[in-house]
Amino acid sequence: MTATEKYFNKLSPAAPLAVFRIGFGFMLLASIVRFWQKGWITDLYVTPKYFFNYYGFEFIKPLGSYTYILFIICGLAALLVAIGLFYRFAAVCLFLSFTYIELIDKTTYLNHYYFISLVCFLLIFLPAQVCFSVDAFRKGTLKKGFVPQWNVDVLKLMMAIVYIFAGLAKINSDWLIHAQPLKIWLPAHNDMPFIGFLFNYDWIPFVFSWFGCLYDLSIPFFLWQNKTRPFAYFAVIVFHILTAILFPIGMFPHIMIVAALIFFSAEFHQKVLQTISKFLHFSPDLLTSKDIYSIPRYRKWIFMVFFAFQLLVPFRYLLYPCELFWTEEGYRFSWRVMLMEKTGYTQFTIKDSDGKQMVVNNNHFLTTLQEKMMSTQADMILQYAHILEKYYAKNGFNEPQVYVDSYVSLNGRLGKPLVSPTVDLAKQKESFFYKQWITPFNDNIKGF
Amino acid sequence: MNRFLFLIFTFCFLSCGSGSEPTDEIDPIDTGKDRKLVLTHLADEIIIPAYANFKVKFDLMQSASESFVNQPSATSLSNFRAAWVNAYVEWQKVELFDFGPAEKQTIRNFYNIYPANTKGISDNILDVSSNLETPSSYAMQGFPALDFLLNGVGNSDTEILTYYQNVSEGNKRLAYIKRLVVRMNSLLTKVSDEWNTTYRETFISKTGLDIGSSTSLMVNGFVLHYERFIRSGKFGIPSGAMLNGVVSPDKVEAFYKKDISKTLATTAHQAYIDFFNGKSTKTGTEGPSLKTYLNALKAMDSATGKSLSELLNTQFGLASAQIDILKPNLFEEVKTNNQAMMAVYNEMQKAVRMLKVDMTSAMSITITYTDNDGD
Repeated sequence: MTATEKYFNKLSPAAPLAVFRIGFGFMLLASIVRFWQKGWITDLYVTPKYFFNYYGFEFIKPLGSYTYILFIICGLAALLVAIGLFYRFAAVCLFLSFTYIELIDKTTYLNHYYFISLVCFLLIFLPAQVCFSVDAFRKGTLKKGFVPQWNVDVLKLMMAIVYIFAGLAKINSDWLIHAQPLKIWLPAHNDMPFIGFLFNYDWIPFVFSWFGCLYDLSIPFFLWQNKTRPFAYFAVIVFHILTAILFPIGMFPHIMIVAALIFFSAEFHQKVLQTISKFLHFSPDLLTSKDIYSIPRYRKWIFMVFFAFQLLVPFRYLLYPCELFWTEEGYRFSWRVMLMEKTGYTQFTIKDSDGKQMVVNNNHFLTTLQEKMMSTQADMILQYAHILEKYYAKNGFNEPQVYVDSYVSLNGRLGKPLVSPTVDLAKQKESFFYKQWITPFNDNIKGF
Repeated sequence: MNRFLFLIFTFCFLSCGSGSEPTDEIDPIDTGKDRKLVLTHLADEIIIPAYANFKVKFDLMQSASESFVNQPSATSLSNFRAAWVNAYVEWQKVELFDFGPAEKQTIRNFYNIYPANTKGISDNILDVSSNLETPSSYAMQGFPALDFLLNGVGNSDTEILTYYQNVSEGNKRLAYIKRLVVRMNSLLTKVSDEWNTTYRETFISKTGLDIGSSTSLMVNGFVLHYERFIRSGKFGIPSGAMLNGVVSPDKVEAFYKKDISKTLATTAHQAYIDFFNGKSTKTGTEGPSLKTYLNALKAMDSATGKSLSELLNTQFGLASAQIDILKPNLFEEVKTNNQAMMAVYNEMQKAVRMLKVDMTSAMSITITYTDNDGD
């Protein structure tokens, strides 16, 4: 038996997957409820008149007030996953509904939503329902005590990818040498109780930057080792709580804190389940089974392809010339988190061959958030230009030309045009090719 | 509990210890980035005294208006008009504080939306119960309405006096003047009272930068003011730079008086620069301000090493220089020398970008106001 075969034959108690399923499902349900309660469904998915599709996903349409139904489906699916009822079906629904929501509008892109989508995808193919689930309770044959060890490791690997790529992305001159953007963001919190005064010191952003980078790069390894795990997990809690206090990143820190429990030993997870079981007065045999779950062979291939894709996608930026932070070509879906303070201002002018000319009021078309995000991202500027082209073609302009006067600042550099003001954006097409009409950055951010 | 106290004690000790070290480097860091000092200086040395100064000029205008309403004559008309000019100019030094109490009362909109709606004013004169508290009534009150009533209802002072001596409507017209001035006074009283009582403390204590905190509200109001009311209102819209080349000389500020439009613009622009630099209204010396805060944050052009505050002041200076070459009557300038009006707009546009992008980004403040139809 080769080492690889040995590894793939190794077994783990099913408890870690069950705890992960419960924790993740309930966290997701909480996120949905929080999103709803803050009025964001209306703000982000009902109010806007136009949406920014992802290239290749134009078939995803906004649903207007039916978006609420989509959120209900998503929330219910999260609940079903958590309790393990109709698990496979629920996991598919959860993945599809959550991903659909995220694909409606680029404006709301967040790496942690992408992370959630990916984990939902993985959960479809993982046997997280074989232990401590309603399904297993209802149908005894489903109940298993053991799963292949690598099924648990799939989730650890996903977490490790997020951390390590986030860490690699921090190895760049803005982050490490100039401590940007933390140098801008931290002084904003200098009125915080107890630690606020620290943010007045010039060296503090450097400490945070370097610590953040080392943390991301090393934490998966420390979590994986039995010896270092308690300290590593303590660091996870401190790190994520600190980011939660300093930055408006919602549920993400809490989800990561819960998800990182997957690194703990199977005995730990069994204890967790026993405790829950006792607390809810479940019969003890709910947890006892010596049966082994054997995973269909094809799943292994799904995971292989999935992870190959995960390892390559963050590097696709290498296919583009010019500075990644400036053009953002290949920026999304790469675990580049909190790396930029980017602010922009765009003023669009519509012209036509009859000499008509008009300056656009962006608020007739976009919400404040959409305008803010569009102003710094070239692909969104182009999409918006096409929205304007269509609109003005119907409203008195003959083959409208669209020009933009843009002004964008990145990580403390003074603003400058992101897009050449002389290019008619109506004539430019979206593609995966390099966008020639982005003005050169004329600066160098070294590193990943 | 004991442990908690110990923690506080430790942190206090740490912060005091580091603050009192006798090195020159530490000092500017600790105070320069202290937003409470900035807010306190702006409130005590600029905003509150500026409202007090305006109140003085406003009260003079109110008493001159009363003399005129009681007895319209060539003398009382010219006194009222002169007092109106003084108050209008002084108003330019407080209009920019469009946050806190001023924003709550939307005093800016009730005081200075122009061009005046003359049809609406004529209708309101006949209807003593007309509503002056809705957005649709903005252009029927405030300084622009008084501009019309003082300078626009006749071609000469004699004609203007005749307008008020009209047997059937003269008294109603005078009553409308009184109504407008009383309303302005009540709004101003609300705003300055709130600054003088509760709001000052709120303003200087909410030092966060999140949406809704003082600095964020102030910076939002401050940037918006430059973009919408100085750049667009005073230059962009009349010159046609904003509205697709449609030149609208009738949309200049103080359209009926005409020869003070430049003075109003210059005053507003200078007040804006002074606020940025923290120049005390009382003493004329500079103190903690957006400028010193930006300097403490070391916001600069990394290519040249020039500080952002310096670059902003240079850009303000370029805009001021373009205003300076204009003649006092901007109505005439739009008609005969519009290129010069456009030039002001263009320089101001550059300042807008710097304020809206470079300054807010350096301060980590989110712009939350939305563009309006004027844009």
